[in-house]
Amino acid sequence: MELLPQALVDGIMLGAIYIIIAIGFSLVYGVMHVIDFAVGEWIMLGGFAGFYLNEWTHVEPMLLLPAVFAVFAVVGYLFQPLIHRVLSGHRGNPLLMGLVFTFGLSLMFRGLAQTFFGFYSHSVPSRFSNGSFFLQEGGFSMTVSSVRLAGLLYALLITGILHYLLKHTDFGLGVRALAQNRDAAGLMGVNNKRTSAYVYGIYVGISAMTGVLIGMILSLSAKMGPDYTIFAFFVVVLAGMGYLAGVPAAAFLLGIIQSFFLIYLDPGYTLLAVFAILYTILLVSPRGLFGKGV
Amino acid sequence: MKDRRLLGYLFVFAATLLVPAVVHDTFLLRVFTEAVMWIGLAVTFDVLAGYTGYLNFGHSAFFGIGAYTTAILMVRAGWHFAPAAVLGGAAAGIGALIAGFPTLRLRGAYFAIATWALARAIQQLVLIMDVTGGPDGMRLPAFLSPRFFYYVMLGLVGITFFAYWFLLERAPFGLKLKAVREDEQGAKALGLNPTKLKMQAFILSAVPTGIIGGVFAYWVTFIDPASTLGDLVSDQALVMVVFGGMGTLVGPVVGAILIFAFKTAFWAYLSDYEVLYIIILGAVIAGSVVFLPNGVLGVLPQRGRRNGPSPEEKGPGAVLPETEGGNSHG
Amino acid sequence: MKKAVWLALIAAVAFAVPLRAAEKRDFFKVGVVTELSGDLATGGNVTKRGYDLWAEAVNKAGGIAIGGRKYKVKLYYSDAQSNPSQGAAAAERLITQEKVDFILGPYSSGVTIAVAPVVEKYKVPMITGSAESPLIWKQKFLYTFGTIPPVNFTGAAAIQTLAGLSPAPKTAVIFGSNDTFSKATAEAFESAAKKAGIKVLKFNIVPAGQDLTPLMSAAKVLNPDLVAFGGHDEELIKLVKSLRQIDFTPKALLMHYGVTEPAFVEALGKDANQTFGGAVWTASEKTKSKILWKDSPTYAAAAMKAFHVPADYTQAGSSAAGIAFQVALEKIKATPPISEAKRAELIKALEGVDVETFYGRVKFATEGDYYHANVGLNPLTIQIQGGKVVVVGPKRDAEAKAQYPMTPWDKR
Repeated sequence: MELLPQALVDGIMLGAIYIIIAIGFSLVYGVMHVIDFAVGEWIMLGGFAGFYLNEWTHVEPMLLLPAVFAVFAVVGYLFQPLIHRVLSGHRGNPLLMGLVFTFGLSLMFRGLAQTFFGFYSHSVPSRFSNGSFFLQEGGFSMTVSSVRLAGLLYALLITGILHYLLKHTDFGLGVRALAQNRDAAGLMGVNNKRTSAYVYGIYVGISAMTGVLIGMILSLSAKMGPDYTIFAFFVVVLAGMGYLAGVPAAAFLLGIIQSFFLIYLDPGYTLLAVFAILYTILLVSPRGLFGKGV
Repeated sequence: MKDRRLLGYLFVFAATLLVPAVVHDTFLLRVFTEAVMWIGLAVTFDVLAGYTGYLNFGHSAFFGIGAYTTAILMVRAGWHFAPAAVLGGAAAGIGALIAGFPTLRLRGAYFAIATWALARAIQQLVLIMDVTGGPDGMRLPAFLSPRFFYYVMLGLVGITFFAYWFLLERAPFGLKLKAVREDEQGAKALGLNPTKLKMQAFILSAVPTGIIGGVFAYWVTFIDPASTLGDLVSDQALVMVVFGGMGTLVGPVVGAILIFAFKTAFWAYLSDYEVLYIIILGAVIAGSVVFLPNGVLGVLPQRGRRNGPSPEEKGPGAVLPETEGGNSHG
Repeated sequence: MKKAVWLALIAAVAFAVPLRAAEKRDFFKVGVVTELSGDLATGGNVTKRGYDLWAEAVNKAGGIAIGGRKYKVKLYYSDAQSNPSQGAAAAERLITQEKVDFILGPYSSGVTIAVAPVVEKYKVPMITGSAESPLIWKQKFLYTFGTIPPVNFTGAAAIQTLAGLSPAPKTAVIFGSNDTFSKATAEAFESAAKKAGIKVLKFNIVPAGQDLTPLMSAAKVLNPDLVAFGGHDEELIKLVKSLRQIDFTPKALLMHYGVTEPAFVEALGKDANQTFGGAVWTASEKTKSKILWKDSPTYAAAAMKAFHVPADYTQAGSSAAGIAFQVALEKIKATPPISEAKRAELIKALEGVDVETFYGRVKFATEGDYYHANVGLNPLTIQIQGGKVVVVGPKRDAEAKAQYPMTPWDKR
């Protein structure tokens, strides 16, 4: 029992990573209906951008996040028309086409990364990675890593900003209109193409920053992509595809399940449990935890 | 018209039967065997993806269940290969029945990801069980006869292809499936039972995949969770189907041959540039989606074809959310 | 319609025109099956560097001397794509298409087990310079050899060294990733710890690639003297970062292969220091040899010059695999191309190999559970000290005293 607070904290910290992996991804699905198989590769590329930028400038990587965001947001913005082309035009099964297209992209990115960045694992050095807080109260004690805490704050900040953007700005109104009904939104004067491009840019930028953060907390390698893609998928499905508000809850749930299995139950069963629980939830509530998925 | 096509298929099949008589090189025969295997995996994948519109990211699970069932029966229980492989197919079929009952209610992306989760769960299960050897995998008795495996694989995939052709292109079953794919509610109104039809297609896809897995296990003599239950089978089958042309029988065959030939040629002669292969493959896949939305078959002359995809005919679509004018709740 | 099928068939056959090898040649064709792409590409490329370096050194010396003539070697690579079945296909291609004389084997144990029956079938000898799973040798493949002792042999030695430190660790938390090599490592750690009288408080096999921070939190509460982990490169880096983040410093932290990889120190900086590991060779180990490289530092320098990356024991073991073939070929005076009868002789010669190399003594077991694995080496316990790999045990090989107990993370 004395480990309970620690188990919760570790789970929440893990969940924070899942939030930032999945939130942009969920937004893009809601607006563009594309399942982006390359999400893990955007994360990986962003991570390497942060790694090399830090090596070059020696600036604390936390402070490099905005620069990484800016660069990748532009990349995403410029990329979107290509994805738009795949999804539109009268071809069958746009969802599938988007999936296969981004699957191809992910292979390309991974191959290119292995060519240019090599096979080895790296770590983004940050002064935050060193510290931790130790709290003790009665029989309970827990350690909170400062870099993970920074990750949590970052995740909450991103969630907050996205929430504000969507609910309180004209841009957000356009995005929501688009997600609800594309044709009607078009009639009301929402520029579908441009709004989608902005959304895709935001998503790629967030994913890239996430990569830097993962490089600080965990590690970085050219082949890491698929490991994160699969969790992005799972969180988003659990939250309900395209239902942004469900992402934090779903992410925390996954993180806490993992943490509890590792601490209290047989660690060997952790991933089995994660997949099995995800599967079961989908069966009980096919549109995610809250039944609000698209 | 249709009988002429059947004649064509039979002719090609007969020609492939003669391959071992001409090709004495054991390595080439191995390559041909693997090519036939991938044809089989692509065709079985397409039954679900193309004919019902359900994207099964857990296709590798059926392959792995078949491989492991066969291996366990042969190694732990001392069974002969043939009944073990057949039971491997049955196990995959039962797996499909159990998994399909709840998952086939899901739609579009949910189905794809649920099946992916299921495949991963099975992989994890195999990793922690003792009877499967865990991460160490299983070694089967080595029976290294290239001809034997070529014929077994060819016979298996040939039977599967002709059975599918009959069921999907000649019998009403194929039309019913397409009706469900295009409009499930409409199909219901016509008195069809979509759930039952989808389940039949799911099992139809799983059983041959399981047997192929069993043959694969005996053929390569060693299986482990990463190679038989990883994403390779699902991913590659998907790529082959999309590249060749989805929702047809010939499309996956052509896609499998072209992708596999390219992959193998690159591997055999340019092994030092293996990473380049991944980049090129990625570019080919992405490019084919942009420029060949109906696959390679879609650009070939349309002579004498009725059911194949054409620019006017769309591929499977209605089950999944549409890009234009989607009706979302979120 | 038929056109489509024909097109496809032609495409399939076009690439398949076999290359006929010339029967008479004055060099050895050496096949290499290893993981150049896929999940295990990191390790596969380490073996490639080892094999390349051997071939380069042999050819620079004029070739392998047989009966007063020198025969150069030429490597023929085939990628196993980190996939056992592809490895089997690769071996079959090298043997039947390229007609290689012998094979240098894969990085991973899984691929090796799938390749072994193929080389057995064609009676082509193979030496793997890397695979470490004890399972390979239990299969008793006649044509398969390995230069690195199995991990249950090497892992145990590290625990024995640690048990000899003072104050000796009394308790341990041991766990491993769920892959063949890591699981075997963790099990070797566990049984050796029990033998050494170290109490194992917690032993777990965990799914590969996970964030293990929660598990480390649980370990922290148990406060063991020793934390031992079997895993691969990236997992080791993540694990040290986890311990750092929850601020838990055990008295000793033991891992295995991967600690000696340059990426480990590069990624972790000063946090990498004082980590213990197991190895069978280091760049500074005292060895003496008459073949190609006279000792470990000479080899390490040559490797550094060629690849600009420090050599680890897998790379050295891979180069040593080439040397083992070289020695056996010279002994039976085999000239290329090697006939099947001569290859059977080669097996006998390999079984008789007992030679000092820059990598240490190479001698393959001819019976028992280590059948055809190299049992000539002493397993070493190493520690990262000041960013360098230093041998700290067993006593007669030690280059420095073990730094023990570990300095707390925040006092570094």
